[in-house]
Amino acid sequence: MSNTIDIDKNSTAIKSRGSALNINRVLKHATIFIVLVLAWEIGSRIGWLDPLFFPKPTDILASIFRIYVTQGNVWFHLYASLGLVFAGFIAGSVLGVVLGSLVGFSAVIRRFIKPYVIVLEATPRIAVAPLLIALLGFGAASKIAIIMLVCFFAPFINTLSGVINVNEEKLELFESLGASKFQIFTKLVLPDAIPVIMAGERLALTAALSGVLVAEFIQRDQGIGSLILTYTRNLNMASAFACIFTLTLIGFLIFRGMEWLDNRIAFWNHDDGMTRVGSRSKQRWLKQHGEPQ
Amino acid sequence: MTNAVASDLVESAEQVVAAQGVAKSFSGGSVIALQDANFTVKQGSFVSLVGPSGCGKSTLLRLIAGLIEPTQGHIEVHQTQVKRARQDVAMMFQRATLLEWRTAIENVLLPTEIRRTPSSEDKNRAMELLNLVGLGDFAFSFPAQLSGGMQQRVALARLLQTGADILLLDEPFGALDEFTREKLNLELLRIVSEVKATTIFVTHNISEAIFLADEVYVMTPRPGQIAKIVPVNLQRPRELSVQTSAEFNELVAQVRETLGAL
Repeated sequence: MSNTIDIDKNSTAIKSRGSALNINRVLKHATIFIVLVLAWEIGSRIGWLDPLFFPKPTDILASIFRIYVTQGNVWFHLYASLGLVFAGFIAGSVLGVVLGSLVGFSAVIRRFIKPYVIVLEATPRIAVAPLLIALLGFGAASKIAIIMLVCFFAPFINTLSGVINVNEEKLELFESLGASKFQIFTKLVLPDAIPVIMAGERLALTAALSGVLVAEFIQRDQGIGSLILTYTRNLNMASAFACIFTLTLIGFLIFRGMEWLDNRIAFWNHDDGMTRVGSRSKQRWLKQHGEPQ
Repeated sequence: MTNAVASDLVESAEQVVAAQGVAKSFSGGSVIALQDANFTVKQGSFVSLVGPSGCGKSTLLRLIAGLIEPTQGHIEVHQTQVKRARQDVAMMFQRATLLEWRTAIENVLLPTEIRRTPSSEDKNRAMELLNLVGLGDFAFSFPAQLSGGMQQRVALARLLQTGADILLLDEPFGALDEFTREKLNLELLRIVSEVKATTIFVTHNISEAIFLADEVYVMTPRPGQIAKIVPVNLQRPRELSVQTSAEFNELVAQVRETLGAL
């Protein structure tokens, strides 16, 4: 995923220097892509690829058109899955950040909780999914619980480590200024941990997408995961591929969205973010105090 | 060495920092960081603490700042015993320790923010201080957008924003290149005389210590102690060229001798 982004950044840099080079690059990429798709199409038609498992790209395209337009059934499932993803992600990651801050704040709690964290971290979270269904029954509740479970750890651990690893010198600075514990936490520890917390959130959201699929594979009632399962069981691989490509797109959008969010929230780690916030803060100052002498 | 007890009334009125028999040990007494420190610092004077690593320079500074407590003896600032961090004493560190998520001016305002909600005057004062350190045009830049020297200037403005009249500087320009450091030292002298602050400056650079100071406390390690106090009577304001004078070299020799004797 990160490779795609790098290539993309390069290409925008090139674009600003000269569009001729960019067009050249786009042409090369397009050529390779078309060759690959054509090879797949031909391979599938002449029987080099088993059309049952590798349906023709044209068939996949037709399926995409069908599930989105003529039949239009994917929207309902997409809506169901994404609702769960965001509910579970927000609940799980907020819980992770809050608990991570609390545990990080108190050395006593940390000492007692540490062994359990290690044990839980070593356990594959998905293994607990059937137990959660047994506990909460079939339906949205157990699905959200599964997503919360896979979303909880990255923000929790990252918040914890971000909060614990405060720069000693900065801490000394705050102490020399006579700051209270609460001020140290809100003005130093928490903002200092934000970039690490954001990295945890990014992992959590990716995990949420996998989490919802697992939840829907286990209880096949609605959602994009159930749809994939239904299609593959009916050997309708073209439609299954159509669903998978939908998920690819969603994954990509989520990744981009998190990048955008990181640029807004942890702006001081991005050149354009600093420029943006800096000039806004200058405007605010000018409005309140006039031109600085 | 002036003794606080023996000094007369007029002198004690202008003594802003006084230490008597101050000692500090760590790890339950097994590591003696500083022993038997006695000195008084006059109001508005510039004191350099010079010595090799482990001589207790930083420990002494942290004791005066109230960040740590002495194991023996006591330290007074403005005739009251130092027990914790106080508002008339402020400290600057080797690294700028700026908050990356705050603009330069927001960093300068931090000391005020910790005490109260900054008023319009506080904000104007912060802007004045940024101008004083030559960074008026960078008030809305973030630390990552500033060079190392500029970051230390912001830290210096933040130090002054505290309003403290006793400034403790722990190798503030030690991480910068020679040229930037010399330039900042000159500016520091100009600024502390302008704000009439008492300054205690830690360094391991002998020339720097002498160039800046009215008095150089030469410190020696194992155990850390003040081995000698060397008065510096060079004229002020000082130019960098003073460092080539015979008088200056005489002082360097004197400090070196004390350090080399151990």
